[in-house]
Amino acid sequence: MSVESWLWALGGELRRQGLAEEHAAAVIVDVRTHLRDSAEDPYRAFGTPERYAAAVVESLRGPVSQVRPVGPVRLRAEGISKRYGRRQVLRGVGLTVQSGQIAAIVGANGCGKSTLLRICAGLVTPDAGTVCVHGTLSYSPQEDGTVPHLLPDEHFVLVGAGQGLSRDRARAAGRDRAAQLGWRDVGTTTAGRLSGGTRQKLNLVMSTLTEPDVLLLDEPYQGFDRGAYVNLWQELWRLRDAGKAIVVVTHLLNELDQADVVLDLTEANG
Amino acid sequence: MDLDRRNQWLRGVLDLCVLALLARGESYGYELALELERSGLGAIRGGTLYPVLLRLQRTGSVETRWQEGEGGPARKYYRITDAGRAGLARDGTDWLAFGAMVAKLLDEGDRR
Repeated sequence: MSVESWLWALGGELRRQGLAEEHAAAVIVDVRTHLRDSAEDPYRAFGTPERYAAAVVESLRGPVSQVRPVGPVRLRAEGISKRYGRRQVLRGVGLTVQSGQIAAIVGANGCGKSTLLRICAGLVTPDAGTVCVHGTLSYSPQEDGTVPHLLPDEHFVLVGAGQGLSRDRARAAGRDRAAQLGWRDVGTTTAGRLSGGTRQKLNLVMSTLTEPDVLLLDEPYQGFDRGAYVNLWQELWRLRDAGKAIVVVTHLLNELDQADVVLDLTEANG
Repeated sequence: MDLDRRNQWLRGVLDLCVLALLARGESYGYELALELERSGLGAIRGGTLYPVLLRLQRTGSVETRWQEGEGGPARKYYRITDAGRAGLARDGTDWLAFGAMVAKLLDEGDRR
């Protein structure tokens, strides 16, 4: 079997096992580069595509058979309704997220995904329903979370100050998290001059810097390239494994298999 | 060395060996495989190495960056994080203590 057909089989197997396209592509690039460097036969180096795909999926997700420990309820929204003028945006919607879970809010444009997230964050008052949050909460908006004339480091220091972190500790922690998202050169560019994708990373770093129990993210991948997107999900899994309760608003369907709870607002409001 | 036994041993300690190599500096998959072989551990298959790297990445012990290759596909570079260094220090010490106990036992058995 040629390298290409082996890789093709691997791609099919990764998809079959429910791995998102972005992750599958990154895995395939790794293998292709390795085989080119080593000039080895794919079977000798990686075994069968099926077994290698299984090993990859297990490594990315943690042991599949092992039930991940899920902790206490961190966020509970019940019977949430919201109307803007004559438009009923949300009608009796509920969402429960436990420590160690990722919840995805999905649905068509304008179905109230961001509104629900803002209600959970306490930024918007619902017409009906309750939101209970157990622990600290952090909210990362789709845009406008940053201060244009401040440096990334200054954002880290500001957010860190609220946590009682020293300037140095806050800066180091911020840069560490930025690097996790593939953003290495934090440098001397003010937030207003960063690219959209990098500004979004700044938003993300700020929202995780406070070590919140509940993390609310509104489409946290705008302007991301493939590598950054993969890094984002790996960071989210890490936070989930650390016991955070995470809510992600998204319209990308291939993320669904990576979430523990899915709330489809198109259906829920229907 | 018995290959099965070697593989069994490696399973428990390959992540630490990889972290130890990365503690010296950034590297990519194939280079790590070569360095592991050069260090005397024997040939490490890609099918064994990359899942370990993915796991280390998932747990936050290493981070990655893509670099466009010249005339080839992009290459993924791995770099140890502060958390990775802390883990290496802790688990590396445990492994050394464990190895010392095994050595002592074997040594005592030898002399009887």
